[in-house]
Amino acid sequence: MGTVVVDEVVVVDVQRFSLHDGPGIRTTVFLKGCPLRCLWCQNPEAVRRGPEIAVYAERCEHSGRCGEVCPEGAIRLGALARVDFDRCSACGACARECAHDAIRLIGRRVNIDELEGDLLRDLAFFEDSGGGVTFSGGEPMVQAPALGSLLARLSGRGVHTAIETCGLFPWSRMAPLLTSLDLVYFDVKHMDSAVHRRLTGLGNELILANFARLANSPVELVARMPVVPGFNDDEENVRATADLLHTHGLTRIHLLGYHGLGEAKKPHLDSPLAPFHLATMERRDLEKFASRFEERGIDVTIYD
Amino acid sequence: MSRSTTDGRADAVSARVRRLQRAVQEASPGVCAERALIWTAYFRDRSTAPLPTEVRMAQALSRVLLEKSVHIYDDELIVGNFTSKRVAGAIYPELHGVAMLANPSSFPTRAVNPLQISPDEAARLKAIRGFWLRRSIPYLAYREPWRKVRLIVDQLKPRYYALNELGGIAHIVPDYEMLLELGTDGLVARAHEAREGFAPTSPQIEFLDAVETAANGLAAFAERYAHEAARLAATEDDPLRRGELLEIAETCRRVPREPARTFAEAVQSLTFAQISITLESLDNGVSPGRLDQLLWPFYQRDVAAGTLTRERARELVAAFCIKLCEVIPVFSDATTKLHGGLMSGQAVTLGGVDVTGRDATTELSHLFLEVIDALRMRQPNLHVRLHRSSPQSFTDQIAAMLCDGANTPALYNDDAIVSALVERGCDEGDALGFAICGCVEPVVPGATFGSTDAALFNLPIILELALNEGRRFSSRWRVGARTPPVTEMRTMHDVTAAFETQLAHVVARMVGDLHAVESANMRFHPTPMTSMLLRGCLERGTCSTAGGARYNSSGVQCVGPADTGDSLAAIERSVFVDRRVTLPQLVAALKANLDDRDLFAYLRGLGKFGNDDALVDRYTAYVLERFSSELARHRSRRDGPYVAGVYSMTTHAHFGSVTGALPNGRLASACFASGLSPENGMDREGPTAVFNSVNRVDTRSLSNGVNLNVLFDQATLRGANGRRVLSSLVRTYFRGGGMQVQTNILDPAVLIEARADPSAHPNLLVRISGYSAYFNDLTPTMKDEIIRRTAHSGTAT
Repeated sequence: MGTVVVDEVVVVDVQRFSLHDGPGIRTTVFLKGCPLRCLWCQNPEAVRRGPEIAVYAERCEHSGRCGEVCPEGAIRLGALARVDFDRCSACGACARECAHDAIRLIGRRVNIDELEGDLLRDLAFFEDSGGGVTFSGGEPMVQAPALGSLLARLSGRGVHTAIETCGLFPWSRMAPLLTSLDLVYFDVKHMDSAVHRRLTGLGNELILANFARLANSPVELVARMPVVPGFNDDEENVRATADLLHTHGLTRIHLLGYHGLGEAKKPHLDSPLAPFHLATMERRDLEKFASRFEERGIDVTIYD
Repeated sequence: MSRSTTDGRADAVSARVRRLQRAVQEASPGVCAERALIWTAYFRDRSTAPLPTEVRMAQALSRVLLEKSVHIYDDELIVGNFTSKRVAGAIYPELHGVAMLANPSSFPTRAVNPLQISPDEAARLKAIRGFWLRRSIPYLAYREPWRKVRLIVDQLKPRYYALNELGGIAHIVPDYEMLLELGTDGLVARAHEAREGFAPTSPQIEFLDAVETAANGLAAFAERYAHEAARLAATEDDPLRRGELLEIAETCRRVPREPARTFAEAVQSLTFAQISITLESLDNGVSPGRLDQLLWPFYQRDVAAGTLTRERARELVAAFCIKLCEVIPVFSDATTKLHGGLMSGQAVTLGGVDVTGRDATTELSHLFLEVIDALRMRQPNLHVRLHRSSPQSFTDQIAAMLCDGANTPALYNDDAIVSALVERGCDEGDALGFAICGCVEPVVPGATFGSTDAALFNLPIILELALNEGRRFSSRWRVGARTPPVTEMRTMHDVTAAFETQLAHVVARMVGDLHAVESANMRFHPTPMTSMLLRGCLERGTCSTAGGARYNSSGVQCVGPADTGDSLAAIERSVFVDRRVTLPQLVAALKANLDDRDLFAYLRGLGKFGNDDALVDRYTAYVLERFSSELARHRSRRDGPYVAGVYSMTTHAHFGSVTGALPNGRLASACFASGLSPENGMDREGPTAVFNSVNRVDTRSLSNGVNLNVLFDQATLRGANGRRVLSSLVRTYFRGGGMQVQTNILDPAVLIEARADPSAHPNLLVRISGYSAYFNDLTPTMKDEIIRRTAHSGTAT
């Protein structure tokens, strides 16, 4: 709803000194909004497009100030403050008022001039280390027009740029970004479209088509696979994924082992995602899994 | 037989070195009574009383050197015992030691840093207390009884400033280059030449007499080891060891009396000088300096002549480094709160440029790094100078050490330090040759009497005075200047004006006390041995305590700049921008130790130094600028400037414990931030933000050095990428003007384990503030603080 404003992005978080989202010393920007609903989502707070309220009830000190300032009357004060999400407009008044960080506004609307300035504070570190800025999310392509302006500006300053994408976007949104993008981390979650739909809510046809287009573009493409035991680690999927890479002349993949950190965030949100119960993947299991790609001549980088 | 290190690399040091290391690490630290007893015997002898003080000092020192016990331990190649025990410290009864004579038998049972002492030694020490009570510097500093009492009571539990100079000065980088070149005989000849310029009965002649006595005492000290080595050789069964002992005997017969000819002689010569200076002035900050430069000609010559192998050089360097660990400072319980960790501050500086500005890194620089990395002991304090043309092999070696958790060396930016020294008045050529003294303090080696640790200043307490008309929050008694009540402060400028007035007031009082101490040191504790190894003193016939050295200065450390800056930023924001509270309301809340939890949380949540927020950081830059400018208005009795430094030893915990709640949300009695680091746990944006914040501080006026601790967890700096990242961070920070940084890289789990069970990690080293200490030697508060320090971890998605 509302008109799309291209000089503004909705940001969940900006993490400086990120070392695992591309080369060198980087800043990673987590943008809000994602078209997929992966069962194992690690960043459930970044799924919705707009700002939202998260409640950390155990931090509540019962000052009652959140209830006093809420213009929608969406906060009920009892033993602990509770938010009626049907009424909440995510204006953030309660979060600003709460001194104890018990109510937080997830997602800030940030003007891209301001964001650019913030990101360039580490320019000297980017330049020296060969690092730069990575846009993650959520799905950064959801905010493609503004993302494009940011990428163009950063690229213009000589900053190395990267995005981490689920691959689901109209190609027309990606095409104008190619000239200012150095690196794309592209998630390959499952090769079977029906299974993909069951795991993420949508099929993978457009994703695979975009993968092919990016592979033929000058941008560096690195495939990433979240490894979710019992969901996408079967032999058939490994074979198909390896074939996809071979088809496009790619020889490496990044494997991200499933961990339960995302689950810890869900209870604080009015999350559209159901709870997902799975043990954090052990490194040795991930290494064993990695060998199945290595057998097929693919270099693996493991993130655990 | 060489041992392998845990990661399978061949050991960088020999089995002999490991045995020496074990002997020192396994020795329980003790107290040595010898220096105190011999010193007392000399001064009790009334027949020397008519002699000039300088001469008496030189004679007393010589007597210590001639009468103290002499030990040559198994496996030693470099000899010379600091004390009568393998690891111990001396008591200096005429300096701060007088405080420890009341109950010396309690040393073995005290809670922090227990020290061994026999009942007999304790009894004999206790017996000299009466003699020194009215003869020690703290007592002699002021003439008027009420001032004496005020100074001593103040300094028992310092609140506004801690006057370290009251307990002795030391803190020099001696001119070992000259010692190695001339020998003590050459120095005596120099002193002789210098006499020509002065009248026969002048004080200058008295000083030069004292220098001759001290120089001869040093030479005679070494000769005692020549005898001892020869004696041991006569009964030694192992022919290999007998040969070594005879070699030691020959070396000690020659140096330091004569110029050093070989690498081994050079190391041995300066070891004797290191011990003697320590026994003269104090066991603190006697810093050997740029040994990779000093020893380089000897190394080159010997290697070229085929008389020295790299392995043998490594053994000698290791033996020297282990020797430096044999001396520890003996502090009272009160002083331990300020300077925890048994740190003697003997600093070695490597790398950097030469006096012409060209890279001076040598093979010896690498060799020292290898040895110190292999040993990982608490001494020497290792400092490395970096500049734009530092060789990659050198910076790679350092990064590998640091990423592996060595926590040492500390890193210094040549550009920033040379600018600061030139700004202070050093010649550029001299400044380019700087070495680090003690913790972080740059000086021109062999030419500076810097008293770099003269005092530490509690800056946040100044804000407390400014917000309460010159009184402490808890008191009706005015100790500061009379400034307007907060009800009359209408703007931020009113607040800073009161702050500046209080600062000027307390700094002036501190300088008054320092003047008294300086005069007392000049009159009662001249140091001819130290002075003969500082350029300027012989030529001027003037002791370093009286301003004889080429460069004079006194370092005063600003403790708690981030707490103070953040507090001013919090006042501006809460009172004048957000208007969340009025200033009187805020002060009332501070007096109640912020018991309003909402207000407390609000203040804690405001911006803090270290997060790259220019509006907040400018206040920390401002308070440091004010502090150094205020110091610059005064000069010492040695006619040197007071120069600002920013390191805190463990004083940030002590000063914190005596200071009320602050507007930054720090509660009463809590620890301050350490050195120039952001407040613990408040740097939420990672190390790049910390570096950017720190680089908003103008370090040109902080020529006594700064200390920035950055803690990383091991995972962040793992592998080749970790080493690249660390090098890049430091390079970029320095290019932006950064002066100094030291890293702690460790796994917090190890620390938590060590806190629960000290025996689990007996030799765990942590960086405190320009120095390394064993974790087990720290007070419980300091242990907690080390654990709490933010572990910067690289963030993965």
